[in-house]
Amino acid sequence: MASNVPAVPTRPRTLVVASAFGTGSVVMYFGGLFALYFSVRADAMAWGAGWFPEGAVQLVPGGMNMATMAMSVITMAWAVHSVLHDDRVHAMLAMALTGILGVAMVNQTVFAFMDIGLPIDTSEAATLMFTIVGSHLVMVVAGVVWLGMLLLRTLGGQDTRRHRDLVSAAALYWYASVAVYSVIWIGIYIAK
Amino acid sequence: MTTTDTAASDSTTSSFEEVVTSTDPFVMSRIWGFGGMALVSLGSIAGFLVGLERLDLSSANVFSSADQVFQFWSAHRVVMVLLGVLPALMGIITTVVPRQCGGSLVFPRAAALACWTWVIGAGITVVGFLVDGGLGTPGSGGQRQATALTLVGLLLVIGGLLLVSICVMTTIVSGRSTGLGLRDLPFAAWTTLVAATVWTAMLPVLAANAVLAYVDLRGRTAVRFGVEDAIWEQLSWMFTHPAVYVLALPVLGIALDVLSRSTETDQRNRDVLLVATAAFGFLSFGVFAQPFFDTPGTPIREEALSVLAAFAIVPVGLVVLGGVVDTLRRGASNLGSKPPPEVVLSILAVLLVVAGTLVGALHVIAPLDLLDTSVTGSQFMLVVGATLLGVGAGFHHWGDEIVGPGARPGLVLLGGLAVALGVALNGITDLISGLLGQTDFTGASLAVAGYPGSGVEALNFVSVVGSLALVGGLGIWMVAGILHITAAKNGSVA
Repeated sequence: MASNVPAVPTRPRTLVVASAFGTGSVVMYFGGLFALYFSVRADAMAWGAGWFPEGAVQLVPGGMNMATMAMSVITMAWAVHSVLHDDRVHAMLAMALTGILGVAMVNQTVFAFMDIGLPIDTSEAATLMFTIVGSHLVMVVAGVVWLGMLLLRTLGGQDTRRHRDLVSAAALYWYASVAVYSVIWIGIYIAK
Repeated sequence: MTTTDTAASDSTTSSFEEVVTSTDPFVMSRIWGFGGMALVSLGSIAGFLVGLERLDLSSANVFSSADQVFQFWSAHRVVMVLLGVLPALMGIITTVVPRQCGGSLVFPRAAALACWTWVIGAGITVVGFLVDGGLGTPGSGGQRQATALTLVGLLLVIGGLLLVSICVMTTIVSGRSTGLGLRDLPFAAWTTLVAATVWTAMLPVLAANAVLAYVDLRGRTAVRFGVEDAIWEQLSWMFTHPAVYVLALPVLGIALDVLSRSTETDQRNRDVLLVATAAFGFLSFGVFAQPFFDTPGTPIREEALSVLAAFAIVPVGLVVLGGVVDTLRRGASNLGSKPPPEVVLSILAVLLVVAGTLVGALHVIAPLDLLDTSVTGSQFMLVVGATLLGVGAGFHHWGDEIVGPGARPGLVLLGGLAVALGVALNGITDLISGLLGQTDFTGASLAVAGYPGSGVEALNFVSVVGSLALVGGLGIWMVAGILHITAAKNGSVA
């Protein structure tokens, strides 16, 4: 027998919408920095002034970080998929792995900063690079903290199929952080 | 027998504690509103002092050096926009828009966090300006640490404004009542959605500029971005054409709603106005217009995109004005012999917005060479003044809902007329002075002031009178607001 109860209207997912707006703001922040970076770089190149000194920026740290972030996309998607299917154990595992990959990326970036032979006040290029990579570091740390809190919620059984918005919101933010890093990788580490 | 400690009674909670711990949007609205208007007054006083300095263009009389003049001149713009007008708008938006959407503000704790972040950031910014910091100085005569402090304050202010914008946008997109489509939204809610979208796109870029300057400034010799005479130039795009227009966008929505309700007349051509206001927001997107990063030989403010945006926004403004005029034409008879103050202020606000767009278009005509003249200041004052009048109209129109009964229409109208007079005098005199060759920042020597033609002394004097009228009008509004809140409080107690 068909139910006479009217269907509940589909409402937009408040947390995901807010996360989209917030993530959009963060992306605009990086968009601004990238625009300045590429604009100043293009001017320097046009005048034949050069950009980074030869060999100052190594591809390996950037490449390792990119690989780490790319793996974290898969684990984050795994977390979303697990929550969607009420698979708590896999959700916790995926979130923990994503967080660990984030911490690994932070560790690698800090190591690269300590190791790089390019002080921040050397040139416009160095200042811009440190500002952009440093800002992204903050973005990843914020994502790791968010994931840590999500993990605690999942341990308490609060992230379920019915209440999955916070995981989706965090995933959106995390994917954006990976997308931003891919621009850093190509624009700074590869193109130099 | 056991003895059990009992918790202290909640009745001991002080009113200060209640305010600080409150997440009620109406309490936050008062903080945004009063804080914003107090800081607008402070910014206007800074503008008045700079105006006094301009009475004698050949030397520094009020201030001790050109650097100090610059600090107050830049403080006037920053405080008016980011610390004053925009937060005051938030006072209306965070309370009125959720009600228009048939719900309540989502994430009230985040909105409260945003409010207090702004309060702390505004305090730090003002202190930064007062302790010889600000946003750099042309002669490098400021204190570097204080400049860094100002930038930190500014970043907190931007963070607070962004967070509350996200709360409001989410409320409109996700929290509005079922069946209420975006096309059905009242104009204030619609223009807020458009404006908040542009704010969340532009403010992060301003933050990026500030972070870059801060990183370069801190602790070592600055390379380029943190050099004292370069910081303002990197941030100034936010306070000029076209970015400054986005301030006025919610005011257009407020004016359309106020007029429609006061005249008891439905707005005709609703879809046209929705598109026009959206276009107004689109044309206000000004992050590209950063002269500091110009490629040599191709100044961005003379590029086709910038010039086109300046001209395209004029007909858009006229369309909105047409909507206002049409509503007035059909519903003026319902206003009675004494139109309510909010109607008068709304009409003046829309007229000033249109005047601002006209001055903006004039300002980019290359043969006139007005880009660095006081025409820029004229446009700034007209648009910011329009926003102020719209805020005043909004607070009076929805005051009973936000605060309670007890509004003072006479005082609101008197203050509003003084504000309008001040803005008009400032705008017109700066426009003419700019045409006579006076630079936007006049410094403390004739060379910096651009050796303007004769007559600017008298115009600058009239401008000072305008600044005085503006400060006076704002003072009257503050008194009206305090009396309103007191009356509402007494009424609720009785």
